[in-house]
Amino acid sequence: MADKLNVIAIVGSLRKGSFNAALARQLPKWQPAGMNITAAPDWSDLPIYNADDQNSTGFPATATRLADAIRAADGVIFVTPEYNYGIPGGLKNAIDWVSRVKDQPFKDKPVAIQSATAGPMGGARMQYHLRQAMVFLSAFTFNTPEIFVGSAHTKFDEKTMEFKDEAGIKFITQQLAAFEGFARKLTGKA
Amino acid sequence: MSMNVLVICGSLRKASYNAALARALPALAPEGMHLTDAPRVDTMPHYNYDDQVATGFPPSVTAFADAIRAADGVIIVSPEYNWTIPGALKNAIDWVSRMKEQPFKDKPVALQSASGALLGGSRMQYHLRQCLISIDALIFGRPEVIVTFAPQKFDEATLELKDQTTRDMIKLQLAAFETFIQKVGAK
Repeated sequence: MADKLNVIAIVGSLRKGSFNAALARQLPKWQPAGMNITAAPDWSDLPIYNADDQNSTGFPATATRLADAIRAADGVIFVTPEYNYGIPGGLKNAIDWVSRVKDQPFKDKPVAIQSATAGPMGGARMQYHLRQAMVFLSAFTFNTPEIFVGSAHTKFDEKTMEFKDEAGIKFITQQLAAFEGFARKLTGKA
Repeated sequence: MSMNVLVICGSLRKASYNAALARALPALAPEGMHLTDAPRVDTMPHYNYDDQVATGFPPSVTAFADAIRAADGVIIVSPEYNWTIPGALKNAIDWVSRMKEQPFKDKPVALQSASGALLGGSRMQYHLRQCLISIDALIFGRPEVIVTFAPQKFDEATLELKDQTTRDMIKLQLAAFETFIQKVGAK
């Protein structure tokens, strides 16, 4: 049997009750047999990016750890909210840090995107901003099916945060299966 | 008519071309426009709703929001990072967007950017325009200030903006922004 793909999920929200964090935690339930999804290293203690700091004291350990994990992964899945029609600043700051690391880790990396929001659009505006950033970083961003979980508050169990939307689960299962094929092609991992 | 315009800089490094661009503005502004620098955006933690609920808005966020609220208009001068908005700047916007009396609401905002390459940060500007829609800012249209090939346009030693075409374009923008503020400004 082929080697399992090592895929990491980067979450763009820091709050405990985040729908996106909940979604990311549950991805292993829907992953194909050939994929193992784990959480990316936490980015929450990164300082604000400043090139002067990078030059004087180097990369913070958190930036290096995140970059290493991305580099070591066969694929990356972003699961993130949309803030103000764009990418959450915290997540973008993490991307800005790792983008400056030598052997920039997103280069040639298969990347998929998922988002959940309480509003009807499910984070679509954020996703297209993130895609544009990934173009610059030379990632291979997976196309369709896209995962936009709109009206998220109606789709997660209030207490357990279990994602219970049947149609959503079907799309996510399809995306992960297709993402496996995409990542295997691009990484050459049989 | 006299007006106060706040300048928000999206870059934090000392030798930033965008910071240099921001420093060039007072000399190019129309007579009645007074420019002041906004508090730096690197004093804020990463936005986390849990922290907002537990401990409220950090003083750095409140100070930033107060400065925006007190201004007649805002100019955002920012580099482009990875073809979009620097995380630091976006984080500052994310914080103030959650405030009651959200400070960007009905606030005239103009954009400027400088980059070393040929698109001058324009990809960042159009993303920022989209984000500013979500917080109901009144976004100034043209002329746009997009400073391409920045190393050729600033003095290498002093970082003074020396490119006359760029200086003229900024003058035009600031004069038009003054008119825009007079027309749409809520104050």
